[in-house]
Amino acid sequence: MKTVNSSVVKAGLLVLLAFGTVASAAQQTTTDYRNLEYPPLREIKIPEVSRVTLSNGMQLLLLEDHELPLIRLTARIRTGSIYDPVDRIGLADITGEVMRTGGTPTMSGDEIDELLESMAASVETGMGADYGFASLSVLKQDISRTLSILADILMNPAFPQDKIELAKIQMRSAIARRNDEPDQIAGREFSKLIYGEESVYARHPEYATVNAITRDDLVAFHRKFYGPNAVIAAVWGDFQTDEMVKVIESAFKGWKKVSDSAATPPPKVDYRFVNTVNMVPRPDLNQSNVVMGHIGGLAKDPDYPALVVMNQILGGGFTGRLFKNVRSREGLAYSVFGSYGTNYVYPGMFTVGCQTKSESTLQAISAMIAELKKIRESEVTQEELKLAKESFMNSFVFNFDTEGEIVSRILTYEYYGYPADFLMKMRDQIDKVTAKDILRAARTHIHPDKLQILVVGNPDEFDKPLSTLGQVRTIDTTIPAPKQ
Amino acid sequence: MRYASLLLVVLLLPAAAAQNLADFEKDVTEFTLDNGLKFIVLERHDAPVVSCYTHVDVGAVDEVKGITGLAHIFEHMAFKGTSTIGTKDYQAEAKALERIDAAFKALKEELQKGKRSDPKRVEELRRQLAKEQQEAQQYLVHDEFEEALKREGATGLNAGTSYDYTVYMVNLPSNKLELWMLMESERFLDPVLREFYKERDVVMEERRLRTETQPVGRLLEEFLAVAYKAHPYGEPVIGHMSDLQTVTREEAEEFFRKYYVPSNMIVAIVGDVQPARVKELAARYFGRIPGKPEPEAVETVEPRQIGERRVVISDPAQPFVLVGYHKPGINHEDDAVFDAITDIMGTGRTSRLYKSLVKEKRISVEASGFQGMPGVKYPGLFLFYSVPARGHTNEENLKAIYEEIDRLKNEQVTAEELEKAKTRARASLIRQLDSNQGLAQQLAFFETITGDWRNLFRQLERIEKVTAQDIQRVAQTYFRPDNRTVGFIETAATDQKSRAGVER
Repeated sequence: MKTVNSSVVKAGLLVLLAFGTVASAAQQTTTDYRNLEYPPLREIKIPEVSRVTLSNGMQLLLLEDHELPLIRLTARIRTGSIYDPVDRIGLADITGEVMRTGGTPTMSGDEIDELLESMAASVETGMGADYGFASLSVLKQDISRTLSILADILMNPAFPQDKIELAKIQMRSAIARRNDEPDQIAGREFSKLIYGEESVYARHPEYATVNAITRDDLVAFHRKFYGPNAVIAAVWGDFQTDEMVKVIESAFKGWKKVSDSAATPPPKVDYRFVNTVNMVPRPDLNQSNVVMGHIGGLAKDPDYPALVVMNQILGGGFTGRLFKNVRSREGLAYSVFGSYGTNYVYPGMFTVGCQTKSESTLQAISAMIAELKKIRESEVTQEELKLAKESFMNSFVFNFDTEGEIVSRILTYEYYGYPADFLMKMRDQIDKVTAKDILRAARTHIHPDKLQILVVGNPDEFDKPLSTLGQVRTIDTTIPAPKQ
Repeated sequence: MRYASLLLVVLLLPAAAAQNLADFEKDVTEFTLDNGLKFIVLERHDAPVVSCYTHVDVGAVDEVKGITGLAHIFEHMAFKGTSTIGTKDYQAEAKALERIDAAFKALKEELQKGKRSDPKRVEELRRQLAKEQQEAQQYLVHDEFEEALKREGATGLNAGTSYDYTVYMVNLPSNKLELWMLMESERFLDPVLREFYKERDVVMEERRLRTETQPVGRLLEEFLAVAYKAHPYGEPVIGHMSDLQTVTREEAEEFFRKYYVPSNMIVAIVGDVQPARVKELAARYFGRIPGKPEPEAVETVEPRQIGERRVVISDPAQPFVLVGYHKPGINHEDDAVFDAITDIMGTGRTSRLYKSLVKEKRISVEASGFQGMPGVKYPGLFLFYSVPARGHTNEENLKAIYEEIDRLKNEQVTAEELEKAKTRARASLIRQLDSNQGLAQQLAFFETITGDWRNLFRQLERIEKVTAQDIQRVAQTYFRPDNRTVGFIETAATDQKSRAGVER
């Protein structure tokens, strides 16, 4: 109680001093930021999101925002590229793409392009690993027309042959270009090390799997996964909620449901902790791309709040240990990262890495490993803990500064079966995280002695041979030639 | 009843949109401190947050040969603290920093002897430099500047350097405005360039990351060097490696003293703030920075190009084609015409380049054209590019780009195309109004580069006036073969063994 009282008095005095300063001279300005006292933050008014389930089973989350004459919608659909047949990898992506570019029986994709762009509106569809998505952004005067286009392409895509071929040209070209940028090689090959080459979370299209895709495959994929009961949509902007519900209801009228079990649960990951050293040799590069790590976890893990704080202390932006020691103190890298990654329903990856000149490759690797060992060896300091927690709490308001963020977050939680107040609960838990909790979480989840290490670079110029870390496996990134 | 009211709203909309812009303009307050530092404040009270933006009218374009990359290095150094932030004992640290400078200079002198330098002496001087750097570490309070802001809830703390300007940005809970005033004014009043040579190493890694190991980065550096023979837009923002290796702390301090003067800076603040309070704090904190004369502008003018230039790099990567035409800067009356051309030629699935190269000819996976590179303050380039589809060549794509350019010169664009460009300019402006940070950036940009932040809203009036004749005239005037530079990435025949690797 005493401290509270004295700080109130101090604040009062400072206010008096501050006014005095303005009236007299600028010389007396406080230049020590530690002496500043802040007024309390105005209360954050978190707007209430309306939830509606339409009679056809489609779920809506709606939030009014009348500042600008815009309306936006984003939807998740229960599907994803993890449902690609093994010999048709790329099918889901192409379906997501051609749904939009190919148009519908009543309006071609090109006509849709012309109409939308003349209204400065956008409608897009696409695919993630464990979700499909659709989005719309429009000046509010054009909402009815635009929404009926979105509904039409989701319900009745035409999948014309020429647009399928165009999407396949694009995908083949992306395959041809996939070894052009070192960070792309590192990301792709590291995922395969962690999840396995064949895993739905790491595999990627090849010429053969793209060539095998037919229009019938797209039609079947769409028929299986796309129905109103597979859709959760968030809408926000300048509208009246009950009017918007009616407009959406009528746009999607008559859409047939799909089986609730069409999207089977994403497969489990069976990970074995191993120590491996892997190399993609690129004699043309003067900088190494290093990625190391192992499997990560789920956001619903009870250790998640402690891991969030640990991530902040280990690799959080400008103030994390990796940034301090690998970048600021040693000057070894421009970008250095490290974080225990979590997903909602299948495990994320724990990744640590940087890009450093060839001659400091091994030095950078050992500097990063040293930080991983340290986070398991002893408790983080009270100062580090305080900084991480205060920065989380004080920046919490930025989770609520736009309507789009608020409603999209609830959409994500809803889609993955997480509670709508997940973020609020996490804030309370983070508030209670101790240095002991972090040490325990780090010892449970971080394994510096069981790292998979991948380097894309020129081994002839490394400071020490990579083999000093273990037996080196060379990864062949040759792109398999297409079969005719 | 409800449907009737909805209809009414729809009919009134164009006027409502215009009203939004007028409202925003009305909520702006501006003031200039005695030292010449100008503030632009836009009140937005939806959420208790604020975005703060400092725009300094200095960029890579202000560098001269030998110190390329310095504007960007200083931007990195502006996070290293002051004589009170980032140090345990500044008196002692200052001496240690001087010893680092001396060690660096001794090493540099020895290295500059080239072949005649003594390898043993070089090794010794390197050790000396490392030792002095180690010594100075004991006084450091690491990354205190960032920590002080982050602790109080800062997000998006960052900075950027372009050819035309250097920007510093952060978002804070709005009750922490005074913290920003203190920290931002301190770093431009009393910066200490500690850890200079380590940070320089970081910048070298940034150069390898963005330019040397990225195919398009490699091409772009060569391309600009060829497109410009006199004006500094031809030098890389990140700097040449040899300049990064030899730049000194003294040179960086000199650069700072010359360009970081109040009359050469603009501050934009957007969010939940009261202008009177902003003014009071600005006077108290930023008022301490002494006024100084504004630095001179770049005098070199790029001479008229008299023949096509071409650069081809042989590279492990897949093909890429770039075509650039010299054009005037942002304050020229044709600027809005180039905006319309950007829309018609290069924006979206209905743009001419996408339709022709991607949809119809299917020789490209991405094709576009835009203005703004390398900068806009001085005459820049209008760039066209294409990413050839697998199995198609640069030449094929270049020919298709030329066909579309010729069409622009030989016939007028349609009324629909022009109307679409204008509609999209209006919508794009409204969409930009959604973000505090975006608004702060735009207000500061228009104030610095065009002399009035109101041009953010007036750009619409300029594009409204563009006619089909204007577009044809501009295309004929600037898109001439003797005014262009062409750049290719041509895939080198690869050494399969070394590229593919050998199993185990």
